[in-house]
Amino acid sequence: MDPITALPKLLGAAWLIPLASFALIVFFGPRMGKAGAKAGWVATGAILTSCLLSLFALFFVWLPNYKLPGPVEPHITAESRTGDAHAAGEHADDNHRAKDGHAGSKEHPAAHGGASHAESAVRPITGDWYTLGKFGELKITIGYYIDSLTVLMFAMVTFIATSIHFYAIGYMHDELHDVEDHEVRLADGHHLHRKGRFHRFFQYLSLFCFSMLGIVIAGNMAMVFVFWELVGICSYFLIGFYIERKSASNAANKAFIVNRVGDFGMIIGMMVLFGTLGTFSFGDVDGQPGIFSLVRPGADHQLIVPDGMIKAAAFEQIAAGVEPTAEQIAAWRADTAPGTPGHWAYWLMIIAGLGIFCGCVGKSAQFPLHVWLPDAMEGPTPVSALVHSATMVAAGVYLVGRFFPVFVPEVLLTIAIIGAITLFIAATIAITATDIKRVLAYSTVSQLGYMMLALGVGGWSAGMFHLITHAFFKSLLFMCSGSVIHACHTNEMTEMGGLRKKMPWTAYTMLVGCLAIMGAGVPFSLGLSGHYSKDSILAQALSFRAVNPMYGWVFFVAAGGAAITAFYMFRLWFMTFAGAPRNKHVYDHAHESPRIMYVPLVVLAVFAVAAGWSTNTFNIDGLVGNFGVEPLLEQARPLGTSGEVHGVLMNVVHPDEHDSHLDQFHSRAELVALLTGLTGLGLAIVFYGLRILNPEEVRAQFRPIYDFLIHKWYFDELYNAIIVTPVMFVARRVAEFDQVVIDGLIHGVALWTRGVSVLDDRFDRYFVDGLVNGASRWIFRTAVWLRGAETGQIRQYVMFIVIGTVALFLLISLYTSTLAG
Amino acid sequence: MESSYVTLLSLIVFLPAAGALVLAFFPRDKGDAMKTFSLVVTAAVFVLTLIMLLPGKGDWQFQVGVSDMQKTFSLPWIESFNIYYFMGTDGISFPLIVLTAFVSMLSMAASWPITKYVRAYCILFLLLETGMLGVFLALDFFLFYVFWEVMLLPMYFLIGVWGGPRREYAAIKFFLYTLLGSVFMLIAILMLYFASDVKLLSDEQLAAAHVIDASLPLEEQTARIGELRAHAGPIHTFNILALQQIGQHTEAFDVKILWGKSLQWWAFLLLLVGFVIKVPSVPVHTWLPDAHVEAPTPISMILAGVLLKMGGYGIIRICYPICPDAGYDLAYFVCALGVVSMVYGAFAALAQKDFKRLVAYSSVSHMGYVVLGIGVWSAVAGNEFNADAWKLGMNGAMFQMIAHGISSPGMFFLVGVIYDRVHHRDLDKFGGLFAKMPLYAGLSIGIFFAGLGLPGLCGFIGEVFVTLSVWNFSHALAVVSASVVIITAAYILWTLQRVYLGPEYKGPHPEALTPMTSREVLIAAPLLALAIVFGVYPQAIFNYMTPSVDQTVNELATWTKDVKAPRIHDEATAAMPAPAAIVAQQ
Amino acid sequence: MNPFVEPIGISHYLVVGAIMFVAGAVCMATKRNALGVLMGIELVLNGANVNFVAFGSEYLRPGVMGVGLDGQLVALFVIVLAAAEAAVALAITLNFYNNHSTVDVDQADELSG
Repeated sequence: MDPITALPKLLGAAWLIPLASFALIVFFGPRMGKAGAKAGWVATGAILTSCLLSLFALFFVWLPNYKLPGPVEPHITAESRTGDAHAAGEHADDNHRAKDGHAGSKEHPAAHGGASHAESAVRPITGDWYTLGKFGELKITIGYYIDSLTVLMFAMVTFIATSIHFYAIGYMHDELHDVEDHEVRLADGHHLHRKGRFHRFFQYLSLFCFSMLGIVIAGNMAMVFVFWELVGICSYFLIGFYIERKSASNAANKAFIVNRVGDFGMIIGMMVLFGTLGTFSFGDVDGQPGIFSLVRPGADHQLIVPDGMIKAAAFEQIAAGVEPTAEQIAAWRADTAPGTPGHWAYWLMIIAGLGIFCGCVGKSAQFPLHVWLPDAMEGPTPVSALVHSATMVAAGVYLVGRFFPVFVPEVLLTIAIIGAITLFIAATIAITATDIKRVLAYSTVSQLGYMMLALGVGGWSAGMFHLITHAFFKSLLFMCSGSVIHACHTNEMTEMGGLRKKMPWTAYTMLVGCLAIMGAGVPFSLGLSGHYSKDSILAQALSFRAVNPMYGWVFFVAAGGAAITAFYMFRLWFMTFAGAPRNKHVYDHAHESPRIMYVPLVVLAVFAVAAGWSTNTFNIDGLVGNFGVEPLLEQARPLGTSGEVHGVLMNVVHPDEHDSHLDQFHSRAELVALLTGLTGLGLAIVFYGLRILNPEEVRAQFRPIYDFLIHKWYFDELYNAIIVTPVMFVARRVAEFDQVVIDGLIHGVALWTRGVSVLDDRFDRYFVDGLVNGASRWIFRTAVWLRGAETGQIRQYVMFIVIGTVALFLLISLYTSTLAG
Repeated sequence: MESSYVTLLSLIVFLPAAGALVLAFFPRDKGDAMKTFSLVVTAAVFVLTLIMLLPGKGDWQFQVGVSDMQKTFSLPWIESFNIYYFMGTDGISFPLIVLTAFVSMLSMAASWPITKYVRAYCILFLLLETGMLGVFLALDFFLFYVFWEVMLLPMYFLIGVWGGPRREYAAIKFFLYTLLGSVFMLIAILMLYFASDVKLLSDEQLAAAHVIDASLPLEEQTARIGELRAHAGPIHTFNILALQQIGQHTEAFDVKILWGKSLQWWAFLLLLVGFVIKVPSVPVHTWLPDAHVEAPTPISMILAGVLLKMGGYGIIRICYPICPDAGYDLAYFVCALGVVSMVYGAFAALAQKDFKRLVAYSSVSHMGYVVLGIGVWSAVAGNEFNADAWKLGMNGAMFQMIAHGISSPGMFFLVGVIYDRVHHRDLDKFGGLFAKMPLYAGLSIGIFFAGLGLPGLCGFIGEVFVTLSVWNFSHALAVVSASVVIITAAYILWTLQRVYLGPEYKGPHPEALTPMTSREVLIAAPLLALAIVFGVYPQAIFNYMTPSVDQTVNELATWTKDVKAPRIHDEATAAMPAPAAIVAQQ
Repeated sequence: MNPFVEPIGISHYLVVGAIMFVAGAVCMATKRNALGVLMGIELVLNGANVNFVAFGSEYLRPGVMGVGLDGQLVALFVIVLAAAEAAVALAITLNFYNNHSTVDVDQADELSG
């Protein structure tokens, strides 16, 4: 099949099928079987179809057409690090710029497959499906950008989602009949009774799958933003699924609003890009260059400040008459002294990058916006497994990976630092948490921090690799915790203990998950999935440290974080499954989950073990070349990102990622990872497994630290004090301003007008009316006086007539006589 | 041909008025019959607009893709003052006309709970509709003003008689605010009238402004033009199109009249005040919360759905094209007004305890986007003239008007539904409605999310397009306008939580919480459906709108390039010898 | 000049008319009986008639051309008018008598202001 035409159709269908399922359930959900029971199967069937389509796209369309690159070898010498990596890829670049904007893979199928560090020769498949609006040259569209990362993410997301859908059918079966919610007490003291909402849960899940796949396939920033918001709203609905619980609706609001804070930055980043480049498209569509080609226009795909930004920054000069020719732009670009256009243009790059990253900080729950994710555990556990560990929160990392070609080193450094801070904060909080899901939530935040750190130190494929492996083992861990909660009806680990006898499937699959996240493995031979991805991250951090000694601390944070991770994960496992039961009642009622729930656990456990492997791991060369997650990712590596990059405004160097495979980095990182992991594991065994040391005593000894951690570093309190309270204060003042000042002003004017009108009224009443009334009164009096003549006596009237006539006659004759005389 | 347009547009405008006349002959006790009759009349108007809307080749169909005025006709009305019965429509006004007819119909359907003085209510309602439609269709400034005032009085009575407890206060406040605006507008109209002279225009411009009927035979046109030219002394005009041509192509309005500012600067300011009162923008917005809170539900729907749009329409149709020079100088002021309204309205909404008041403040915030989008005068980037960002903004603003015209009547209606049942609007005394009235809660959440600007619903397109367009105009305003998304999310989600979520209803009359009636569903569901349709397929509106909006922007951009830029350059070089920058990015 | 020796001319007629008019007026002013007042009215009207006829006579005013029959016509008109007036006045009087059992006009002061 021709991938250029087939992939958009296949993945597009896989993307839209959950939407159809959502629409079906919205309208017919309550009528689907008893209490909407069949809605679960509709949604599951839809996502299963999507999953099959995605797998088909991966195995039968992508892999046969695009041969995967061979095992990645590091450069032999240190000098070659300085940039000749691009030389090797150069001859491939002519093909990259094929006019039609599509991958021209057929023409050069394996030409670069063997080249050890050649950049991927596969051009992404891009295009537009649908236009939302077009104004002049500006266009906002719904389109696609498909490379191996897209296909891989599709396969991963739909596969995990399918497992979780099956699992959820079992987990949510309570919702099939009337529910008594023990966490909600009504005003009359009773617990809340309500109807089940089984179909509604699957309706939201379907909408979520659609939105998430929309982010993955998105061909432009606007589309990412659209689905970014949609996953946000799905997350809102799912966190607040138990709408009667105040804590749930609070958590839902918090999640959405905190995400909107991130989106605020994202909008600014989008405005900068759109305002200066005039396009949102990632790749080239219909001959129009996309963002990636604009920021890396050269044959070597080196990152430069694009022309549009230079022109925007050199606004004053251009207005003064300087012609923005190519030479002039190059001159501006070269001069980055403060105050010059080049300087401001570079800042525009930084603002754009930081803005986009800001959105990712919100979505991926990075410091300082990490506070929403632990609260999001108010949602049902399948939601936590799917939305809040494997997919949606990873979307932030995914977007950073997508946007990687646009990030300048200064932005990457910020990402690395944010990632390091996050991973440390979250890991420390996880040590003291006792709610099983919250431990996992903080673990998720911490692992996302790892991914950000990896991306930030230039480890593109390390970060994306960890994203994939983490999705498998973290969803596994969450589903296991859900299974436990399902059995015990509590989240508190202090109520559990010894459960492995009651629920062996859950216990041992979870153990696999714990080992995977710890990165367990035999050095230099074989390990669980986390082993590979975490090693790559540490190796890249080490390689980063070698060239940036002042930022070397991020490596130590990452290594320390690995130890803490192992500690809290095994603390969780021991507290839950090992030892003696802490609560007899809970223990007695616990039972293994039904098969529909533990089969997905087993499936995911297999992937948690094997997701890191490639055919290369076992030295076998499959039919499809070097198959595995890592080679697939290597194939999707953005053009021009595999070289050393220097910061312009700050002294920071990002080493070539391939160099991290050098023994001096990779072997040492592997050892460090193993040692730290074992340290953490050892501590957990000492405290919780064998109980040689009593954690209570340690807690008592470090009371201030414990308090600090158990209060989650006081972030909620801090944000309440510095953000929520002031905002509400401002809001109230604004409302008061309306009522007091503006309305007061208006009322004042009205009052003043009324005062004037009262004066006016007095003037009228006493002066103008006085005159008029006086005149009429005088006339009236005269008339009354004259009335005396009117006696009613006819004879008197006749006399008046006669006298009048005579008088008239006399007057006239007098008059005429005078005339005559 | 033209007579058919006279019939069509006059029917649309005056059918409600004729209906009002017929209502006078209904027996006193037939309240329901009167309401049904009024509903039929509003529906008939809507059908007429639908005939125009639906694609086809007929004489009455709106020609999609045509940017000029269409369906125009011009009949002498008061000839001694050059006042004409001059109407027509284009992509800017046409969507608003359809919206008006649609919202009027739904509001009439929402008027069933009205039982007091039904006849008077229906008559005033229909007169109001005539006024609203007339404002959007009139192309003669005087006619425009007449309709503007016609609309004002019924509104006053509808709030003042059928409103809530403080109705008289609210009605008077509304009336005085709007009247103040109209007075300013009248002054500006007269200023422009007496400064105008159609003889300044070229033959083509005369035809473009429909001063000369272009459908006449050529000889006759020439003869008419000859007559005009032969006329001694200036020929003043109220023709809006002619005034636009004069404003953009001549210097008739550039006379300095007061404090060194030109006539058009003052006219722009006066018109702007008149229009932003209607929009409304901070700080002349306080009539809106009171009017909305006191007005009966259907009148709130009309207020939010249509009346507010007249302000935006006025700015886009009258302020900018007639007074471009002043518009250019005051662009930052206009945008700042928009941004301040957005932020201020959102903050104020966050603090409200009254459900309807909250929705009213959300209107202030959302209409801020309209003012902002219209104002982003970014025709100049360096010495390159590229008005694409402005087109984006203005189209976004127009879209936002339609989107708000759908979501906000919906919100007001839904507040009305719950108010009809429990007779209070205290946000702290709701809760748990999701369980009691699931369909109602579902529709509400949909409509409120449209207001929140969720993708896939209509609010998103307008808000995002406007926000994106601002960066090229002003970085600071862009950042502030982007921050509004956070506060908007906060107040909408918090409202949803307090009203719909939670375990149980906390206020009085819990027994009255019955599911929505089918009439109520029939009003709310189309609004939500349209919100989704326009959110997913915004081209449905842009197809009609964009050609005309783009042409307006293009004309202004051309004016900026040909007239304003050299003028600024001359002034700058006169002021100082150093090379000066064109100030577009303040 | 002595009227008694002059040939009968217009002045004589005028004197007669004036006497009739004055007699009528005095009659109206002095009589309390409504019928007497009516008679006074008749006298006044006829006094005027004498004047009309006299002024309208070609015979009495030689040399004045073009008067025609105007005077006589007006006189006839006045006679008709007097008849009509008398009828109405008598009706009023009768009615008054029916109500007040008197025809004394001094009793009829209901129009006093």
